[in-house]
Amino acid sequence: MERKEIEKTLTDIKEMMSKSSQFQAISGWSIVIVGLYACVAAVIAAGIIGLEIPFLHRDMGLAPLGIRITTAIVAALVLLVISSATVTIMAYAKAKRHHLPFGFDSRMRKMMFSFMIPMVAGGLLSLAMILQGHYGLTSSIMLIFYGLALVECQHYTYPAMRFLGYGEILLGLIDCFVVHQALLFWFLGFGVLHILFGILYIMLYEKKSR
Amino acid sequence: MTFIDGLNKAFENKVRLGVMSILMANGAADFTTLKTLLEVTDGNLASHTRYLEEAGYIRCEKKFIGRKPNTLFSVTEAGRAAFTQHLQALENLLQLNK
Repeated sequence: MERKEIEKTLTDIKEMMSKSSQFQAISGWSIVIVGLYACVAAVIAAGIIGLEIPFLHRDMGLAPLGIRITTAIVAALVLLVISSATVTIMAYAKAKRHHLPFGFDSRMRKMMFSFMIPMVAGGLLSLAMILQGHYGLTSSIMLIFYGLALVECQHYTYPAMRFLGYGEILLGLIDCFVVHQALLFWFLGFGVLHILFGILYIMLYEKKSR
Repeated sequence: MTFIDGLNKAFENKVRLGVMSILMANGAADFTTLKTLLEVTDGNLASHTRYLEEAGYIRCEKKFIGRKPNTLFSVTEAGRAAFTQHLQALENLLQLNK
Protein backbone atom coordinates (compact mmCIF):
# COMPACT_ATOMS: atom_id res chain seq x y z
CA MET A 1 0.00 0.00 0.00
CA GLU A 2 1.16 3.48 -0.74
CA ARG A 3 1.70 6.05 1.95
CA LYS A 4 -1.14 8.25 0.72
CA GLU A 5 -3.51 5.34 0.68
CA ILE A 6 -2.61 4.36 4.26
CA GLU A 7 -3.07 7.91 5.48
CA LYS A 8 -6.42 8.13 3.75
CA THR A 9 -7.51 4.84 5.34
CA LEU A 10 -6.51 6.01 8.80
CA THR A 11 -8.32 9.36 8.46
CA ASP A 12 -11.38 7.53 7.11
CA ILE A 13 -11.40 5.31 10.19
CA LYS A 14 -11.04 8.26 12.57
CA GLU A 15 -13.74 10.22 10.75
CA MET A 16 -16.17 7.31 10.78
CA MET A 17 -15.51 6.72 14.48
CA SER A 18 -16.31 10.31 15.48
CA LYS A 19 -19.14 10.68 12.96
CA SER A 20 -20.84 7.65 14.45
CA SER A 21 -20.23 8.38 18.12
CA GLN A 22 -20.94 12.12 18.15
CA PHE A 23 -24.17 13.85 17.37
CA GLN A 24 -22.85 16.10 14.63
CA ALA A 25 -26.11 17.22 13.13
CA ILE A 26 -26.42 20.43 15.18
CA SER A 27 -26.08 23.29 12.74
CA GLY A 28 -23.74 26.17 13.52
CA TRP A 29 -26.12 28.64 11.94
CA SER A 30 -28.91 27.48 14.23
CA ILE A 31 -26.72 28.43 17.22
CA VAL A 32 -26.20 31.89 15.73
CA ILE A 33 -29.93 32.26 15.04
CA VAL A 34 -30.82 31.23 18.61
CA GLY A 35 -28.40 33.93 19.78
CA LEU A 36 -30.18 36.49 17.62
CA TYR A 37 -33.57 35.43 19.01
CA ALA A 38 -32.20 35.92 22.52
CA CYS A 39 -30.90 39.41 21.68
CA VAL A 40 -34.33 40.43 20.40
CA ALA A 41 -36.00 38.77 23.40
CA ALA A 42 -33.76 40.63 25.82
CA VAL A 43 -34.78 43.97 24.30
CA ILE A 44 -38.46 43.00 24.45
CA ALA A 45 -38.02 41.84 28.04
CA ALA A 46 -36.44 45.15 28.95
CA GLY A 47 -39.57 46.81 27.62
CA ILE A 48 -41.83 44.47 29.59
CA ILE A 49 -39.90 44.91 32.82
CA GLY A 50 -39.72 48.63 32.27
CA LEU A 51 -36.01 49.25 31.91
CA GLU A 52 -34.68 52.33 30.19
CA ILE A 53 -33.08 51.16 26.99
CA PRO A 54 -30.83 53.51 25.11
CA PHE A 55 -32.11 54.43 21.61
CA LEU A 56 -35.50 52.99 22.36
CA HIS A 57 -38.00 55.52 23.58
CA ARG A 58 -40.88 54.13 25.52
CA ASP A 59 -43.76 56.39 26.36
CA MET A 60 -46.52 53.95 27.28
CA GLY A 61 -47.23 53.41 30.92
CA LEU A 62 -46.25 50.20 32.70
CA ALA A 63 -48.74 47.43 33.35
CA PRO A 64 -49.17 46.13 36.91
CA LEU A 65 -46.32 43.97 38.23
CA GLY A 66 -48.28 40.70 38.15
CA ILE A 67 -49.17 41.07 34.49
CA ARG A 68 -45.62 42.05 33.59
CA ILE A 69 -44.23 38.95 35.29
CA THR A 70 -46.74 36.65 33.62
CA THR A 71 -45.94 38.23 30.27
CA ALA A 72 -42.20 37.78 30.87
CA ILE A 73 -42.64 34.09 31.78
CA VAL A 74 -44.82 33.42 28.75
CA ALA A 75 -42.36 35.27 26.51
CA ALA A 76 -39.48 33.20 27.93
CA LEU A 77 -41.36 29.95 27.28
CA VAL A 78 -42.23 31.02 23.74
CA LEU A 79 -38.55 31.81 23.16
CA LEU A 80 -37.56 28.39 24.51
CA VAL A 81 -40.00 26.61 22.20
CA ILE A 82 -39.01 28.63 19.11
CA SER A 83 -35.30 28.12 19.82
CA SER A 84 -35.65 24.36 20.37
CA ALA A 85 -37.73 24.05 17.22
CA THR A 86 -35.16 26.00 15.18
CA VAL A 87 -32.26 23.86 16.41
CA THR A 88 -34.19 20.63 15.81
CA ILE A 89 -35.43 21.50 12.33
CA MET A 90 -32.04 22.75 11.20
CA ALA A 91 -30.33 19.68 12.69
CA TYR A 92 -32.73 17.46 10.79
CA ALA A 93 -31.94 19.30 7.56
CA LYS A 94 -28.20 19.03 8.17
CA ALA A 95 -28.47 15.32 8.94
CA LYS A 96 -30.31 14.79 5.66
CA ARG A 97 -27.71 16.76 3.74
CA HIS A 98 -24.64 15.07 5.20
CA HIS A 99 -26.01 11.55 5.69
CA LEU A 100 -25.75 11.74 9.46
CA PRO A 101 -27.90 9.52 11.63
CA PHE A 102 -30.86 11.42 13.04
CA GLY A 103 -33.28 9.29 14.91
CA PHE A 104 -34.47 8.76 18.41
CA ASP A 105 -31.91 6.03 19.04
CA SER A 106 -30.21 5.14 22.32
CA ARG A 107 -27.45 7.74 21.87
CA MET A 108 -29.92 10.52 21.16
CA ARG A 109 -32.02 9.47 24.15
CA LYS A 110 -28.98 9.54 26.43
CA MET A 111 -27.97 12.95 25.12
CA MET A 112 -31.45 14.41 25.54
CA PHE A 113 -31.65 12.92 29.02
CA SER A 114 -28.37 14.39 30.24
CA PHE A 115 -29.27 17.73 28.67
CA MET A 116 -32.78 17.82 30.09
CA ILE A 117 -31.94 17.07 33.74
CA PRO A 118 -30.14 20.37 34.43
CA MET A 119 -32.54 22.22 32.12
CA VAL A 120 -35.70 21.03 33.87
CA ALA A 121 -34.21 21.43 37.36
CA GLY A 122 -32.95 24.93 36.59
CA GLY A 123 -36.14 25.91 34.80
CA LEU A 124 -38.36 24.87 37.69
CA LEU A 125 -36.05 26.51 40.21
CA SER A 126 -36.10 29.84 38.40
CA LEU A 127 -39.86 29.62 37.91
CA ALA A 128 -40.33 28.99 41.65
CA MET A 129 -38.07 31.91 42.50
CA ILE A 130 -39.95 34.27 40.22
CA LEU A 131 -43.30 33.14 41.65
CA GLN A 132 -42.03 33.74 45.18
CA GLY A 133 -40.78 37.18 44.27
CA HIS A 134 -37.04 36.54 44.27
CA TYR A 135 -36.16 37.92 40.86
CA GLY A 136 -32.58 38.86 41.53
CA LEU A 137 -30.87 35.56 40.76
CA THR A 138 -33.14 34.26 38.00
CA SER A 139 -30.78 35.09 35.16
CA SER A 140 -27.79 33.56 37.00
CA ILE A 141 -29.72 30.36 37.59
CA MET A 142 -30.80 30.15 33.96
CA LEU A 143 -27.24 30.71 32.73
CA ILE A 144 -25.61 28.31 35.20
CA PHE A 145 -28.04 25.45 34.66
CA TYR A 146 -28.00 25.91 30.88
CA GLY A 147 -24.20 25.83 31.04
CA LEU A 148 -24.30 22.64 33.11
CA ALA A 149 -26.65 21.06 30.59
CA LEU A 150 -24.23 21.84 27.76
CA VAL A 151 -21.25 20.51 29.72
CA GLU A 152 -23.25 17.34 30.41
CA CYS A 153 -23.84 16.56 26.75
CA GLN A 154 -20.25 17.14 25.59
CA HIS A 155 -19.70 13.37 25.44
CA TYR A 156 -22.44 12.94 22.90
CA THR A 157 -21.64 15.74 20.49
CA TYR A 158 -18.64 17.81 19.42
CA PRO A 159 -16.45 18.14 22.52
CA ALA A 160 -16.10 21.91 21.98
CA MET A 161 -19.73 22.25 23.08
CA ARG A 162 -18.43 22.27 26.65
CA PHE A 163 -16.70 25.62 26.10
CA LEU A 164 -20.05 27.25 25.43
CA GLY A 165 -21.17 25.57 28.67
CA TYR A 166 -18.18 26.89 30.63
CA GLY A 167 -18.82 30.36 29.23
CA GLU A 168 -22.47 30.31 30.31
CA ILE A 169 -21.58 29.06 33.80
CA LEU A 170 -18.90 31.71 34.21
CA LEU A 171 -21.27 34.50 33.14
CA GLY A 172 -23.93 33.12 35.47
CA LEU A 173 -21.52 33.11 38.39
CA ILE A 174 -20.35 36.66 37.75
CA ASP A 175 -24.00 37.65 37.41
CA CYS A 176 -24.66 36.31 40.94
CA PHE A 177 -22.42 38.97 42.39
CA VAL A 178 -23.49 41.87 40.25
CA VAL A 179 -26.71 43.54 41.31
CA HIS A 180 -29.32 44.96 38.91
CA GLN A 181 -27.64 43.86 35.69
CA ALA A 182 -29.53 40.59 35.28
CA LEU A 183 -30.86 41.33 31.82
CA LEU A 184 -27.48 42.49 30.58
CA PHE A 185 -25.91 39.17 31.60
CA TRP A 186 -28.84 37.28 30.14
CA PHE A 187 -28.31 39.21 26.88
CA LEU A 188 -24.58 38.44 26.92
CA GLY A 189 -25.00 34.76 27.81
CA PHE A 190 -27.90 33.70 25.65
CA GLY A 191 -27.42 36.26 22.90
CA VAL A 192 -23.83 37.33 22.33
CA LEU A 193 -22.17 34.11 23.52
CA HIS A 194 -24.38 31.98 21.25
CA ILE A 195 -23.60 34.14 18.24
CA LEU A 196 -19.85 34.06 18.91
CA PHE A 197 -19.80 30.34 19.63
CA GLY A 198 -21.97 29.64 16.59
CA ILE A 199 -19.47 31.39 14.33
CA LEU A 200 -16.60 29.47 15.98
CA TYR A 201 -18.54 26.23 15.53
CA ILE A 202 -19.08 26.92 11.83
CA MET A 203 -15.38 27.65 11.36
CA LEU A 204 -14.24 24.61 13.34
CA TYR A 205 -16.62 21.93 12.12
CA GLU A 206 -18.57 23.06 9.12
CA LYS A 207 -16.15 24.98 6.91
CA LYS A 208 -13.91 22.05 6.03
CA SER A 209 -16.69 19.62 5.25
CA ARG A 210 -17.81 21.68 2.27
CA MET B 1 -7.81 -15.03 7.05
CA THR B 2 -4.78 -13.99 5.08
CA PHE B 3 -2.37 -11.45 6.39
CA ILE B 4 0.05 -9.28 4.46
CA ASP B 5 2.38 -7.37 6.77
CA GLY B 6 -0.14 -7.89 9.53
CA LEU B 7 -2.87 -6.29 7.46
CA ASN B 8 -6.16 -8.10 7.62
CA LYS B 9 -7.86 -8.96 4.33
CA ALA B 10 -11.24 -8.71 6.01
CA PHE B 11 -10.75 -5.00 6.58
CA GLU B 12 -9.49 -4.10 3.15
CA ASN B 13 -12.99 -3.43 1.88
CA LYS B 14 -14.22 0.10 2.59
CA VAL B 15 -17.63 -0.95 3.85
CA ARG B 16 -16.26 -3.59 6.19
CA LEU B 17 -13.65 -1.14 7.49
CA GLY B 18 -16.46 1.36 8.08
CA VAL B 19 -18.62 -1.18 9.91
CA MET B 20 -15.71 -2.10 12.16
CA SER B 21 -14.82 1.57 12.85
CA ILE B 22 -18.39 2.33 13.87
CA LEU B 23 -18.69 -0.74 16.05
CA MET B 24 -15.31 -0.12 17.68
CA ALA B 25 -16.31 3.45 18.59
CA ASN B 26 -19.82 2.59 19.79
CA GLY B 27 -19.71 -1.04 20.85
CA ALA B 28 -22.91 -1.71 18.96
CA ALA B 29 -25.07 -0.19 16.22
CA ASP B 30 -28.20 -1.24 14.39
CA PHE B 31 -28.56 -1.93 10.69
CA THR B 32 -30.22 1.39 9.85
CA THR B 33 -27.56 3.44 11.63
CA LEU B 34 -24.81 1.60 9.74
CA LYS B 35 -26.64 2.06 6.48
CA THR B 36 -27.08 5.82 6.96
CA LEU B 37 -23.50 6.38 8.05
CA LEU B 38 -21.91 4.30 5.32
CA GLU B 39 -24.30 5.36 2.56
CA VAL B 40 -24.70 1.87 1.15
CA THR B 41 -27.63 -0.22 0.02
CA ASP B 42 -29.31 -2.86 2.17
CA GLY B 43 -27.98 -5.74 0.13
CA ASN B 44 -24.44 -4.44 0.02
CA LEU B 45 -24.32 -3.86 3.76
CA ALA B 46 -25.92 -7.22 4.50
CA SER B 47 -23.32 -9.11 2.49
CA HIS B 48 -20.45 -7.37 4.27
CA THR B 49 -21.89 -7.81 7.74
CA ARG B 50 -22.41 -11.50 6.93
CA TYR B 51 -18.76 -11.74 5.94
CA LEU B 52 -17.64 -10.15 9.21
CA GLU B 53 -20.03 -12.31 11.19
CA GLU B 54 -18.69 -15.47 9.58
CA ALA B 55 -15.16 -14.33 10.37
CA GLY B 56 -16.26 -14.08 14.00
CA TYR B 57 -15.52 -10.38 14.26
CA ILE B 58 -19.04 -9.17 14.86
CA ARG B 59 -22.17 -10.73 16.23
CA CYS B 60 -25.68 -9.99 15.18
CA GLU B 61 -28.79 -9.99 17.27
CA LYS B 62 -32.21 -9.87 15.69
CA LYS B 63 -35.14 -8.64 17.67
CA PHE B 64 -38.38 -6.77 17.32
CA ILE B 65 -38.97 -3.23 18.51
CA GLY B 66 -42.74 -3.19 18.56
CA ARG B 67 -43.52 -4.72 15.19
CA LYS B 68 -40.42 -3.54 13.40
CA PRO B 69 -37.53 -5.97 13.05
CA ASN B 70 -34.29 -4.56 14.33
CA THR B 71 -30.85 -6.02 13.77
CA LEU B 72 -28.23 -5.01 16.27
CA PHE B 73 -24.57 -5.60 15.50
CA SER B 74 -21.85 -5.61 18.09
CA VAL B 75 -18.12 -6.23 17.94
CA THR B 76 -16.70 -9.44 19.42
CA GLU B 77 -13.47 -9.77 21.41
CA ALA B 78 -11.85 -11.39 18.39
CA GLY B 79 -13.02 -8.53 16.20
CA ARG B 80 -11.66 -5.95 18.59
CA ALA B 81 -8.27 -7.69 18.67
CA ALA B 82 -8.15 -8.13 14.89
CA PHE B 83 -9.07 -4.52 14.23
CA THR B 84 -6.50 -3.21 16.72
CA GLN B 85 -3.88 -5.37 15.05
CA HIS B 86 -4.91 -4.08 11.62
CA LEU B 87 -4.64 -0.48 12.83
CA GLN B 88 -1.23 -1.21 14.32
CA ALA B 89 -0.11 -2.70 11.01
CA LEU B 90 -1.25 0.40 9.16
CA GLU B 91 0.62 2.64 11.60
CA ASN B 92 3.72 0.48 11.22
CA LEU B 93 3.56 0.73 7.45
CA LEU B 94 3.28 4.47 7.76
CA GLN B 95 6.41 4.53 9.92
CA LEU B 96 8.30 2.35 7.44
CA ASN B 97 7.35 4.49 4.47
CA LYS B 98 8.65 7.67 6.06
